[in-house]
Amino acid sequence: MTSRVSLARLGLALALVGIPSAAAAQPPGITRHLLPNGMTVIVRENPAAPVVTASLQVRAGSRFETPEMAGITNFLLRTMIRGTSRRSATELAEAAEEIGGNLDASGEVESAEIRGEALARHWEGLLGLIAEVALEPSFPGEEIERERRLILSQIKTRAETPFTLSLDALLRELYGSHPYAWPGVGLASAVGRLGRGELVARYRAVFRAERMVLAVSGQVSHERVVRISERLFAKLPRPGTGEVGAAAPTTPVGARRVLERPAQQAQVLVGYLGPGLSDPAYPAVRVLGAVLGGGMAGRLFVELREKRGLAYALGVLIPFRTGPSFFVTHLGTAPENSAAAEAGLLAELERIRQASVGREELARAKAYLLGNFALDRRTNARQAWYLAFFEVIGAGWDFPERYAQALDAVTAADVEAAARRFLIHPTIVVLLPPAR
Amino acid sequence: MPTRRVLANGTRVVVQEFHASDVVAIQLWVDAGGRDETSSELGLAHYLEHMLFKGTVTRAPGFVEREVEGLGGRINAGTSLDYTYYHALLPPPRTVATIEMLSDISVNSTLSQETLELEKRIVLEEMRLGEDNPRRHLALRLYEVLFDGHPYGRPVIGTRELIQALSRETLVAFYRRHYVPESFVLVVVGPVVPSAVLAAAERTLGQLPRSGLKRLPLPAPAAVRTKMLEVERPGTQAYLGMAWLGPKLDHADTPVVDLLVSILGQSRSSRLPQALRERLGLVSSVSAGYSPLEAAGAVTITAQLEPANLARAEAAILTELQRVREHGVTDAELRRAVTAAEARDAFSTETAEGRAYAFGRAETVWRLEEELAYVDRLRSVTPDQIRSAARRYLDPERYNRVAFVPPAR
Repeated sequence: MTSRVSLARLGLALALVGIPSAAAAQPPGITRHLLPNGMTVIVRENPAAPVVTASLQVRAGSRFETPEMAGITNFLLRTMIRGTSRRSATELAEAAEEIGGNLDASGEVESAEIRGEALARHWEGLLGLIAEVALEPSFPGEEIERERRLILSQIKTRAETPFTLSLDALLRELYGSHPYAWPGVGLASAVGRLGRGELVARYRAVFRAERMVLAVSGQVSHERVVRISERLFAKLPRPGTGEVGAAAPTTPVGARRVLERPAQQAQVLVGYLGPGLSDPAYPAVRVLGAVLGGGMAGRLFVELREKRGLAYALGVLIPFRTGPSFFVTHLGTAPENSAAAEAGLLAELERIRQASVGREELARAKAYLLGNFALDRRTNARQAWYLAFFEVIGAGWDFPERYAQALDAVTAADVEAAARRFLIHPTIVVLLPPAR
Repeated sequence: MPTRRVLANGTRVVVQEFHASDVVAIQLWVDAGGRDETSSELGLAHYLEHMLFKGTVTRAPGFVEREVEGLGGRINAGTSLDYTYYHALLPPPRTVATIEMLSDISVNSTLSQETLELEKRIVLEEMRLGEDNPRRHLALRLYEVLFDGHPYGRPVIGTRELIQALSRETLVAFYRRHYVPESFVLVVVGPVVPSAVLAAAERTLGQLPRSGLKRLPLPAPAAVRTKMLEVERPGTQAYLGMAWLGPKLDHADTPVVDLLVSILGQSRSSRLPQALRERLGLVSSVSAGYSPLEAAGAVTITAQLEPANLARAEAAILTELQRVREHGVTDAELRRAVTAAEARDAFSTETAEGRAYAFGRAETVWRLEEELAYVDRLRSVTPDQIRSAARRYLDPERYNRVAFVPPAR
């Protein structure tokens, strides 16, 4: 019942401007090991609380899919925790709960993940369960059907939620036939059709030692985690099949789409294609995003919320993507204000293309980003996710350190260049309730 | 263990040294929430919470950027039925300055007419946002029927009419009445020296004059009269909510009902998901919840499902309730529920703000020592007690129901 007030998500900069940030100083106690079969294990020893979390990530995700199988990775992962050669879905859930934890799995855009948490004294049991799911899934037919129904209902919920519906429409416009055009959960057309044979084939193709990274964070000893992992995952097959990379999306020419749906609020989204993680311009684009949408001093918050009262929630979204990311500004507003809000968003986007960003504004945006990034990596669950994610996508588990340094080094000229390069041909989606 | 100190003017301070954290969590909890409003003041506590970030007599607007964001921090706030709290995370050297800032906004905010008018549009947008979220809106409507006629049944965010008509005098009066030393709890957790924090609290919040405020105790809500509400909402899926009155926070049955609800519907292996989602395939999700508030508790069961399954799902939920009332729970179920609670408690201690939240909430609406001993109390609960609680609280013939259904074609 808490009616929680967001003053937007505010950032914590551990670093005062100009000083290398806490985000840049990798905390001690992280070690990386390559098992004899090619699987990577990363351990972060953290004494703060008597808990442990683990993230097993696989180089697989919707970016490796085609429209005909959109969502197969997520469907596969969801099905894997629904039964192994030793346990039913319920027995798996009960086993996880016995050790004070839980077990979950999903396919995202860049990677697929089996994750779990437990009381620290049960760390070995947790790793055992994760290995069992990864190595011995049984794909029971009735569980596949149950999971299919649940995923289809999840897709329906996305399509009935004004914001996700609008975002999905915008990404379709931006990416065309590129797999970034659909969310990790997939498309109903494909999920409704995929059979057991296709799921099993997908499993065999991607669950290969050299495509997998296990990250463990908590009150554990890295020697013991490595020793146990080596035994648990020894049977993973090594060589994988080649993978098909998606062609780069064509640059959108700018479109405007209006969706009519009953809702209390109108949604206004303006988006562009952005750079991938390895593009040298990526950090500058993130700073650009923070100048506009970072915290209470971000331009969108100040101009559109505080001065004009056009929105409660608004912001800028930029994901971590190996291929072209996106840059999406969004807000929700009263239907009668949607034209003013759209004009306001576009005006701010044009303004940042035309005029330079001030020194203080740049410093604030960087402090905001660095702080948020550091804050987001403090729990064991987030740490395990970050370590496994950046390693599995090929950026390296220590990417956050280099990324933080790169953010810190961004100049006003970099931000201006990024704005001119990427903020062209806006693609717009507006969701409006039908006129009474 | 945290240190607790009551200052001469009634302000309470809770501090814990926590060196595994590289940031400090600083929170100010206030005994002022939706329940403290009269029926013509709905939304005031929440509105005030927005306004406290807009400037004080000596701090120009934009202080959050200058003193928090720009110096490496973040701050936010939340308003509930029983309390309001302001929570900040900062680099440790900012601890004293942040205590000064929170102390300042808690009594010296300007609440200017101009800002107040501008904020109305933002709060109305927040209201619309909530209405577009089916789960959030379902919770609101369930409380409305469950606590009909009681302050807990009213929306914390207020109503459109009252927000539009809100005047500065009303807001200032509420502020002066409730933001007083006896209402404040300052919580600080992080790599700090407790004596330095206590000294800073004494020098700031500790200097405020006592107000003599006695918060009015809330009456217990009236017994549940069965009410069924069906609301049309756009979309193709249905949402079902059922609610019962549960024990209030300070009640011997609280840990028992906590475990009962956990066994019914808080994890994948619990009874309602197993029956309705796994065996019968009637819902895409179902869960049970228990919110122990200061004057009463709410036990809720909510589900998302196809509209055609509404009646069967409700019947299946009642069957499960009947089953637990007749046959109780197994030792294994109880053991898992206790382990889950122990794990939740352990995970909440991972971060400075997780600890601060637990301490602050307990000190504000309960008692700190109860919070610290809570997991032990859970361990002593027996299966018999759980069955008795199911019989006492979950009457399958007397409850409230709210269903959201798609519009008839």
